[in-house]
Amino acid sequence: MNRSSGPVVWIGIIVSTCLLLFLFKKILWLVVPFLLALIIYYFLQPATHRLVLHGFSRKSAAAITGGGFILLLLICVALLFPWISSHAVGWQVSLARYVEGGSLLLQKTMAGLETQFSFLERASLSRNVSEQMAGFTETFAQRHLADFVLTVAAWLPSLLLAPFLAFFFLRDGRRFTKFIGNAVPNAFFERTLYLIHEMDKTARAYFQGLINLTILDTIALAVGLWVIGLSGALMLGLVCAVLAWVPYVGSILGCLLVVLVAATDFPLDPWMAYGAIIVFLLVRLLDDFVFMPLTIGRSLRMHPLLTVLMIFVGGAVAGVAGLMLVLPLLGIAMVVGETVGLIVTDPRLQARYAHARRLRTQQAAADLQA
Amino acid sequence: MFLFSKEEDSPRLKQLRALSLFSTLSPRELKTVDGLLHERNYLQDEVIFDQGEEGQALYIIESGKVLICRQGRPTEGKIAELGPSRLFGELALLDNSPRAAQARAAENCTLAVLFRADFLGLLETHAVIASKISLQLARHIGQRLRETVTAPGSQSE
Repeated sequence: MNRSSGPVVWIGIIVSTCLLLFLFKKILWLVVPFLLALIIYYFLQPATHRLVLHGFSRKSAAAITGGGFILLLLICVALLFPWISSHAVGWQVSLARYVEGGSLLLQKTMAGLETQFSFLERASLSRNVSEQMAGFTETFAQRHLADFVLTVAAWLPSLLLAPFLAFFFLRDGRRFTKFIGNAVPNAFFERTLYLIHEMDKTARAYFQGLINLTILDTIALAVGLWVIGLSGALMLGLVCAVLAWVPYVGSILGCLLVVLVAATDFPLDPWMAYGAIIVFLLVRLLDDFVFMPLTIGRSLRMHPLLTVLMIFVGGAVAGVAGLMLVLPLLGIAMVVGETVGLIVTDPRLQARYAHARRLRTQQAAADLQA
Repeated sequence: MFLFSKEEDSPRLKQLRALSLFSTLSPRELKTVDGLLHERNYLQDEVIFDQGEEGQALYIIESGKVLICRQGRPTEGKIAELGPSRLFGELALLDNSPRAAQARAAENCTLAVLFRADFLGLLETHAVIASKISLQLARHIGQRLRETVTAPGSQSE
């Protein structure tokens, strides 16, 4: 289908993306599980297709893959829960150790800067930062732990929705297409089916691209951290790659995590932390210029400038949720906007719709006119 | 016993089997195809698609009649009038070429519609079903070609 969207359609796409972000921020408890369900759906879709290819019906294939995933999740939770309970105290100690290692690195870096620049020494930079860090870490748990536990408890039920939603997407996805197709007038029917197909294609490319990007990021970061000799490189790589789903904020958090681990594991060697930062930055560069264009970038066919601008807009409108949601939403709004633009600005389709309506009105009133 | 019993056609499956495109499919295969088909109702004189429009779907007549004609000339530009079980717009399934003629409802009719993306998906997930449909489609196009050769001027899309 030829596409030639004008500025009005593009303004409509951007405004509707912002409005959706604003709305979604209000119903985040539903949007986040829905988004996770979509990721799980597109992750399981190839396996479901393969089962269908081997002769299973769609329902059986969805039951096997979706049910298998839910079962795997339940087993993981059942196994992890006692393990988490028994290691919680140890983690508290580890967390304190990592925070201490991080603040030690900061102190050393500040002290090094003070020896280089006398104005920093006169301002007692090292002492001030250390005092503020100590105050922050001492009261951090008291101030935020209760909130954190409450937030997790509030989110848990809605997050548990995600695998069940994914199962129903796998099983009944086609019914949704039929349902939408039945709801539109004959004149717009073919275009609407095309629109649904394109939306599915865009969303599939985006989410499967996201999964591939996470795998590539994990491997690249794990290899880099392993080469410089950091412990738990694979786990760190995976956590950082998942954090990177949130643009900018996720990368900063990931970098902080890597630095904390490096500073704690090698307290006497600050160059290890600097090395970890360099590896992290190199992987981010690889991600931005190689992995991203190969995976997600291709799927959305967006101009890089628009992508960056919309990420800032997303952050401003809906915070961290906006950063995460803005690109998939923009991708879907683009497909919907361009196709609706084509339908609305096509005088022939409008005329056919008006003609069909006239015919239906005449038919409905046929026995009333006498 | 239940596992090995022969699957009986429901009225809907019997209706689908009566359509030439699906006449070689088994009941189980028909059920799969039925999940993909969209049913549309058109009133007499309603336009189904226009000449030159990019085709996205194939249409099969379940009931009623459809007129294939030159754009906007239903009387003097008439190419063919198709009845139940006949199909039209089949080239849309094979390529993105524009529709070669206009299709209008000659009388109130019900059409089954197979969308191209669904057919292409069928080729990947149910190759046997897709090959049976493709064979029927090839036979249909062959028949059209024979009709064109024996009676020039009677070609539709």
